[in-house]
Amino acid sequence: MKVWSTAAACLACLASVSRGDAQTLPSEPISIAGGRVVVSGDVTGTAGTTDPGFFNYTDYDHSALRMFRVDVSATVNAGDHFAVLGEVRAENLDGLSPYALFLRVKPWTAHDITIQLGRVPPTFGAFARRTYPADNPLIGYPLGYQYLTSLRADSLPDTADDLLRRRGLGWLDRFKIGNQTFEHGLPLVSAFHWDTGVQMHAATENNIVNGTVAVTAGTLSNPLFHDDNNGLQYAARMEFRPVAGLILGASGARGPFVSALAATAAVGEGHDREFTQTAWGADVEYSRHYMLLRFETIVSEWRLPVVREPAIAVPLRAVSTSVEGRYKLAPGLYVAARLDHLGFNDVHGTTATMSWDAPVTRAEAGIGFSIQRNLLLKASHQYNTRDGGPLRRVEPQTAAQIVFWF
Amino acid sequence: MGTPRKRQRAQRTRGERSAGARVSLLLLGVVSLIAFVSFVPHLNAARSGTIRGRVELRSPTSPTERRPGVAELGSPAPRDLPNLLRSVVYLESAPRGAFETEEGGHAIMDQRNETFVPHVLAITTGTTVDFPNSDRFYHNVFSLSKTRRFDLGRYAAGGSRSVRFDRPGIIRVFCDIHSHMNAFILVFSHPFFGVTDDEGRYHIDDVPPGTYNVIAWHEGTSSDPKAASVPDGGVAELDFTIR
Repeated sequence: MKVWSTAAACLACLASVSRGDAQTLPSEPISIAGGRVVVSGDVTGTAGTTDPGFFNYTDYDHSALRMFRVDVSATVNAGDHFAVLGEVRAENLDGLSPYALFLRVKPWTAHDITIQLGRVPPTFGAFARRTYPADNPLIGYPLGYQYLTSLRADSLPDTADDLLRRRGLGWLDRFKIGNQTFEHGLPLVSAFHWDTGVQMHAATENNIVNGTVAVTAGTLSNPLFHDDNNGLQYAARMEFRPVAGLILGASGARGPFVSALAATAAVGEGHDREFTQTAWGADVEYSRHYMLLRFETIVSEWRLPVVREPAIAVPLRAVSTSVEGRYKLAPGLYVAARLDHLGFNDVHGTTATMSWDAPVTRAEAGIGFSIQRNLLLKASHQYNTRDGGPLRRVEPQTAAQIVFWF
Repeated sequence: MGTPRKRQRAQRTRGERSAGARVSLLLLGVVSLIAFVSFVPHLNAARSGTIRGRVELRSPTSPTERRPGVAELGSPAPRDLPNLLRSVVYLESAPRGAFETEEGGHAIMDQRNETFVPHVLAITTGTTVDFPNSDRFYHNVFSLSKTRRFDLGRYAAGGSRSVRFDRPGIIRVFCDIHSHMNAFILVFSHPFFGVTDDEGRYHIDDVPPGTYNVIAWHEGTSSDPKAASVPDGGVAELDFTIR
C-alpha cells in the first residue's frame, strides 16, 4: 500500500513539473548547462498475482511482477572525448543503490572506438542492455537473465546429493561448504547487477560490424564491485548488421566464479581460479514494418570443486532459449509473446540421476498501450512450469505494469 | 406567294438563321462568363493584402537531448540538430470563403541523420505528408496526437510512407526507435499562415482586407492573439515576442 501511494505521489510530482501543456507529463530528458548534463528517469509500478513458486523472483525479497522501481540516469559530457555516466535505482523504496557509474572515453572523434571504465554495462548477450521496462515488451524477464538457479558463488555443495537436494530452491539457498547464511541463488546472466572493469567497443564506419571486449571483476551470474577471488572475467561480443532490421549477435565470457573463501573451504588455497563460469550466447533480432522478433540462447557451464563422492560431474551446464515477438496493432497498441525454456544437464546422485536443477518453461503473452508517448500500460499473463522441486510446479500469473519515462 | 417548295425552303433558311443566332448568343454568353470568372479573382487579388513582421524568441528552445545511453556499449554517433528557430504565424479565424480551399497537395518531412527535416511543417487540411527515410538505419515515425494518430512502422533507407491530414490541429511526431527525434506538424483549415525564416521574419500573403486576430506559435507555446488590420492591397506590420 505504501509503495503504491508513493508511486502515485511520484507521478503527481512528475506531472507538476511538466512544461508547456499542463495535461502532459514531461517527455524529454532534463538538460542542464547547455546539454553538458543530461538526466533521464524511468518510473515503473508492477502489480501481479502472488508467486508461491518463486518463478519471477530476482532475489529473496523482490519479484519482477510485484515491484515499484525508480531509475535515474545521468550523463556528464566533458568535451568530445570524455563523459561520465551513472545510474541509481530504487526497488520498492528500499533506498538508492548505484547500478552503473563509469567513465566513457572516445580517444578519436573520427573513429568509432569507445573505452569504458568503472561499473559498466554487460558485454554479454542482447537482453542485458534492454532490461528497462520501456524496452521490454512484456513484464517478465527471460529466464536466462532472471530465474534463480540453486548455484551460489559463496556456498558450495560437497556432493551431488547435496546439489540435488536444492533443486528448484534457488530463491533461498545454502550448501554445506562456505557461507551458511540462506541467500538466493544466481541466474545464468544477471540483469539486475552490472560488473566492474574496463570495456572496449569498436565499430566499422557504417556499423555493419561492431565488437566489444571487457575485463571485469565478477562473472555473468555474479557481477561484482570488489573481486572476491583471484581471477578476472574476460567477455566478448560481436554484432553483425547485414541489412537494416537484422542483428546477429554472438557472445562469450569466462571467469572464476567461486569466491576465494568458498574455494579454500572446499579444496584448500590456490585453486579459486579453476572454478569458472564459461558462457556462450547467440542472438538474432529481426524487425520490419510493425513486427519485431527476437531469439536468444545462452549456454552456461560452471566448474565447481569436487569434494566428496558422489562427486558432482563438472561442468554443470544450463541452457536457456528464448523466442520473443511483438506486433503493433494500431498506433500505441501492441501485442507481444515470449516462450522461454531453461534446462540443466544431469548429475548422478546416490539414488538418482537427474538434472542438477529443475527445468523451467515459461510462456508469456501480453499487450501494451501507450497513453502518451512515454506513459505505457502493460498487462500480461504467464504460464510457468517447473519439472521438479518441492515448490509449486505449475503457476499461472497475471500482472499489470505502468511505465513512465523521460 | 411562291410554290410550297419555295415557301418551305424560305422557312428552313429563316430557321437556320435564327438557330445560328442562338448559338452565337450562347457562345458569347459562355465567353463572357469565362472572362468574368477569370477577371473576378484578379479584382480580388488586387484588393488582398499582406501581414508581415517578426517573431522574437526570448529564450530559444534547446534541442531534445538523447537519453543517457548508460546501457550502450559505445558512444552514440553524431547527429544533426533540428532547426528550432522557426515559428508559425497564423490567423486565428479565417476570412469568409477561406475554407473553400482546393484539395491539399504533398509535403515532405524527411528523416535525416536522426532528425526530422523540417522540424516544423505547416500545411492545410487535405495535405499528404511523405516521410522518407534518408538514414541507413530504421526509423519508425508515429504520433499519438488526438488530431491524427498514426504509426508508420519500421522502414529502411530509401523507403517512404505517407499520411494524409484531414483535420486541423497540432500533431507531434516522434520516432519510436530514436526518442530524441521529434517534430511538429500544424494543420490549418485555411491558407493564412506563414513559417518564419531563421531571423524570425514571416509574411502571410493574399489576405482579404479586414481586421484579424493573429497568433504566433513556437515549439508548443502560443502568443496571445494580436489584432492586425489589413488595408486594401496594403501591408499590416505585426511583431511578436514569445517567451
